[in-house]
This record gives sequence, C-alpha cells and structure tokens, in this order.
Amino acid sequence: MRINVIKAYFKKEVIDLIRNKMIILTYLIPLMILILFGFGIKMEVTHVRTIIIDNDHSKLSLEIINKFSHTKYFDVKVENLTYKEALHKIQTNKADMIIIIPPSFSKNLYKGAQIGVFIDGSFPLRAVTLQGYVEKVLINGFNIKLPIKIENRNFFNESMRDYNAIVPGLFGLIFLVVPASLAAIMIVKEKEVGTIFNFYSAPITKIEFIISKLIPPFLFHSVNIFILLILALYLFDVPFRGNFFIFWIASEIYILISVGIGLLVSIITSTQIAALVLSVVITIIPGFLYSGILMPISSMGKESLIEAHIFPVMYYNHLVYDSFLVGEGFKSGGNILYFFILCAYAVILITLGTLFLKKAIK
Amino acid sequence: MKMSAILKKEFLVFFRNIGLVVFILYAFTLDIYIAGKGIKVTPRNVPIGYVNEADNLIVNKIISSFHKPEFKKPKMFLSEKALKEAIYNKKIMVGIVFDKEFVKNLLSKKEAKLQVLVDATAAAQAEVTLIYLQNILMKFGNNLKLPATIDIIKLFNPNSNTKWFMSLSELMSNITMLGLVLIAVVFVREKENGTWDIMLLMPVRGSLIIFSKILSQVLILMVGITISIGLIVFGAFDTPINGNLFYFYLISFLFAFAIGGIALVIASVSKSVLEVGHLTIVIMLPLIFLSGAWTPISSMSPFIQYLSYLSPLRYYIEATQDIFFRGSSFMDLLPYLGAELLMALVLFYIGYKKIGRLF
Repeated sequence: MRINVIKAYFKKEVIDLIRNKMIILTYLIPLMILILFGFGIKMEVTHVRTIIIDNDHSKLSLEIINKFSHTKYFDVKVENLTYKEALHKIQTNKADMIIIIPPSFSKNLYKGAQIGVFIDGSFPLRAVTLQGYVEKVLINGFNIKLPIKIENRNFFNESMRDYNAIVPGLFGLIFLVVPASLAAIMIVKEKEVGTIFNFYSAPITKIEFIISKLIPPFLFHSVNIFILLILALYLFDVPFRGNFFIFWIASEIYILISVGIGLLVSIITSTQIAALVLSVVITIIPGFLYSGILMPISSMGKESLIEAHIFPVMYYNHLVYDSFLVGEGFKSGGNILYFFILCAYAVILITLGTLFLKKAIK
Repeated sequence: MKMSAILKKEFLVFFRNIGLVVFILYAFTLDIYIAGKGIKVTPRNVPIGYVNEADNLIVNKIISSFHKPEFKKPKMFLSEKALKEAIYNKKIMVGIVFDKEFVKNLLSKKEAKLQVLVDATAAAQAEVTLIYLQNILMKFGNNLKLPATIDIIKLFNPNSNTKWFMSLSELMSNITMLGLVLIAVVFVREKENGTWDIMLLMPVRGSLIIFSKILSQVLILMVGITISIGLIVFGAFDTPINGNLFYFYLISFLFAFAIGGIALVIASVSKSVLEVGHLTIVIMLPLIFLSGAWTPISSMSPFIQYLSYLSPLRYYIEATQDIFFRGSSFMDLLPYLGAELLMALVLFYIGYKKIGRLF
C-alpha cells in the first residue's frame, strides 16, 4: 500500500465530487430526510375534527362536550344535524368523528342509556387511538371510579414526544441509504464513462483503489453525523443521555457498512442510474421497516423478527436510541454485543467487495 | 395515426428493457404485498413482563387475560429490579408490578393503584398499549357498571385492518415514484442520445410528440395499477370498495398526467438520466411523505398542511380513500378531479415551453 498513490487518487475523487455537484446532494438529501420525516411523520393523533350532536341539552351532556373541548386531541364543533347529514360529513372527509348524544340521555342513565360514537376508520392507527381517547374522556365525564387505576411510569421518552420517537430512528435510515448510493455511483461512473480502464492499466492495486474510492464518501458522511446530531438536539430538542463516543464510533462503523454495500452494488451494475436505483431499493425498505420508527423491534412477530436480525439497521438503531434516550452505554451487555456485530458486518462487507472486484475486463 | 406510431415506438423501447419490466412488475405486486403484510402500525405482540409480589390468585387471572394478538405471553420476573433491567435492555415494553397493597385494595373494593412501567420510546405505540391495558383491566374488581353504554363504531374498517390501508398507500407511493422516473427518462434518454432533436424535426407537432410520449407511459402505469388492484388489493388482501371503481381509474389517469407534468419539468432541466434520478429523489420524498400517504395530514404542522395543497398526490390520496373506504359519490369527488386536471395543464404548459422547441 503506497500512501502517495492513495493520496493522488483521493484528491482526484474529491475534485470530481465537487465539480459534478454531487457534494450538494451528499449534504442536501440527509438534511431533507431528517427535516421532512421529522416534522412530517406524526404518529400521535391530535386535532381530530369532531362533531358532537347534542340532542339531550342537559347538564351532563354539556359536561361531556366540555371534557372533549378541553384537550388538544379534539377540535370540537357542536352542530345540530341528523345522523344522515353527519355521516355525509365523514364520507366527504369534512369530519373525522361524530358523537351522538340521544334525547333524554341523562334521564336514562343506568337504564340502558346509549351514546353513539362514529369514527372514520380509514386510518387504522388513528381509529384505534381515537377509540381509546374517546373511552377515556367519556368515562371521565361520567364521573365514576374505575376498579383499577393505572399508574404508569414512562421510561426513556417520559413525555411521550413524537420527535423523540422518530428522529433518532432516522439516523439508521439515512446512513444506510445515502452513503451506499454515493459510493456505488462514484465507482460505476468510471465504468460508464470508460475511465475505469485507467484503473485496469495503471499500477495501482485493488486495495489502494478501494481505499481511495471509499474514503471520500466515508469522510463526507462523517461530517453528516455531526450536522444531523446538532439538528436532532437543537431543532427537534431530542435529549442525549448516552456516551457521545459510543454514538460517534458506532456511526462511523455504520457508514463503513453502508459504503461496503455501495461497493458490492457497484460490482454488479454497469450504469449510474442502475447503481442508484439498486442501492436505494435494497437499502430503503429494510432501513425503514427495521429502524424501529414504525414499530418497536421487540413487538415484531417471529418472521419479521428474524428478518430484522439480518440487516444491520436494527443493531445500529438500538445503539442510537440507547445513546439518545436510554443512556446505558456499554454498561449493558446487549449494547457491547451489538457494537461488535456492527464491526463484523463492516469487515465482512468490505472483504467481500475486495474479493469480487476485478482488476480486468470481464 | 401519427400518435399511434409514437405510442408503438415507446412500447417497443419499454419492452426491450427486460430488467425494467421485471422491476415494474415487482413494484406493482410483491413490493405492495410486503408493505401490506409487513407494516403494522397498531401494536401487536407487545412483549410484557410482570412481578408478582402479592402471590394471589387474582393476579394470575389478570395475567391470563393478556394474550395474543395484542400481547406476547407475559414473562414473570422475580423482582422489580430485574423487570426494570429487562426494559432497559429492550427485552420487554411493558412491565407490571403487582404489589401487596394493590391486591388488598382490589379485594376490598377500594381504588387499587397498579404500577405499570412503560418503555415509551415509540410514543404512539406506548399510548395505544396503555389503552389496551386500561380496557382489559376495566373488567376486574368491583362489578363495574357504566351508567351508559358507549357504542363505538369504526366506520369503513371496523377491525382496523392495516393491510387495506398500507397496501393502498404503498401503491400510490409507487405510482408517484415510477411515474416521475419513467416519464422523465423517456425524454432525457432521447436528449442524452441526441435523438430528441430528430424527434422534433419530424413532421409532427411538438406538443403531440410530448403528449403521446407521456400517454404511452401513463398507459403502462394504468396496466400496472390494474395488475396491482386485481392481484394484491382485491386478490390477496380482500379490500372492500364502497365507491365506484371506475372513478378510481379516472382519478388515477388524471393523477398520472399531473405527475407526468412534474416529470416533464424535471426532464426539461436535466441533461442526463443520473440527474433525473437525483432530482426525482429530491422531489419525490416530500411529495410522498407530506401528502398524507402514511400519516394523517391533520396532525402535521399548519405550514406543511398549507404546502400540501400544492401536491397532486394529496388529492389523489384523499380521493382514493374516499372511493375505497368512505364511498363518496361523483359530485363529492369533483374538486379532486378538477385539482388534478388543473395541475396537469399548468405543469404541461411549463414543461412544453422548455422542452418542446428546437435549440
């Protein structure tokens, strides 16, 4: 391995990246994903457009309306509609929920009184969550004592903020998809343009070529670790309770895994657009499904649990969530194990890439 | 006549690229199947653990009511410390501590306080899980009688089946992605190869060439949509449809043209297929994730809500959900159809101005 050869090739790659404006995308796309997904993906249900039809006009029904109006979950309108008109409002997507309080509701308490709630069920998660909210508010409004009162202590994300749940999970997605596609494009570009023959004929070894090709995406994305971390901490106000160095080193190793995937993609593709599409397709679905953004890994069924263990994103995101929210660090044996699994991934992928890369025409 | 010649040429080019055909078939079938099956947002199989300090039969009775599909089989821990450790290592999500006082109060019909430890990392799931718990626990203790029955009906999807929703969302996301890429590439490949000037030199009006090129790809998309709706949405997932399927085809057709307009603008500003790829990613991500495909628009921040009025996908998603779930009539759908048409026309005009002329 000759340092000056690597240095020369490395310099060429950096100049190339800046000239063809890929450098903009290297920083723009991670930023965009973090900001768009961070602000855009909302799992909590708020501002539900609720229509309450009060046919009772009693003290109790007013109390119930009051209880609904005083939460951030419901935007309540009291209207005088027939059932059919109200249903049409849901059908035309002008309301999400109707509550119908029948006439002489308060007189019939304990004698078969019935309150009707109609929820637009097209969004399943929203419907299930809403059902729970409504039951809670109504039972609260009836002023009865439940036999068992749940005293829940929330760990890690005490105030149940959506940002704390989603933003850390995005790290595993971003650092899987973006470095892989950049690395793949950088190598395949030479194949497409034809300059790969310089590598075939020049006295540069395979290892030197791979090192000088993979270091630029690796270094550029190392800067992204800090940019995204700062955004997560100050724009989204996510707490950071763990060890910064564990987070940092794990992220560097994870980026190495990603560029390793890019290297493998570059070996089997021959045009830049194919490299881009392939690297995005094979990374974005596991990156999203097994990141823990949509559902916690521990609550997956058997099949998906096995699949989740195949992809590196689960191990990395475990460490990221630990660094941001839990803060156990290497005190917990699981974290150490996951850290070494990540190292093993990086070594295996880069070794495979080195083995399969040919320094000759196929 | 001239139009059918161009269409024929485009279909020929499309089917020569076997890799692309296979990829599109995958995107319209297997990919949607995986998304519908795999992504479940309502909590299932929540791992739960408990500590039984009271050692009373009623605890076993309560525990036995936590079962599939909501909960995994509850694990017993010997001390609260072990339970906490399991939560810190993310082995379990919910831990319940049954202490002596709880059981005493429960048996003597006083208000019993139950300690529940929750891993709230995934806030929304944690909240729904707490709701599950509350509902299960309501049955125990003093024979609770509510003063009134609460009759909750989830319209259109009473069992909250996520497959229906997810498969349609994934289908619409894929139509957006493929529409942008396919249509932009049709133009840029000619630009890259240098045949675009030849096309414009032909004795055919430029606008007709552009229109038929887009139409060819829109027709390919419509075939894909038909395969997907038939095999996956209706076939594998048995999705109900409360509206008229014809309206869905109509809005899909118009939406494909609106997306075609965006793709035309992309094609007019990019010089190579790679640039199309990059621009598509930059435009597609906000389009898909801020139009309500995966999470409801009404809970996004107000600024994004206003911005999403500019997205053709927003109208498509709302119209599709209206047709499949809410069963809206044609009159109710008119605003959506009009919005798609208007966007398609404006984007076509911009794109045509830039790409439809020689030099």
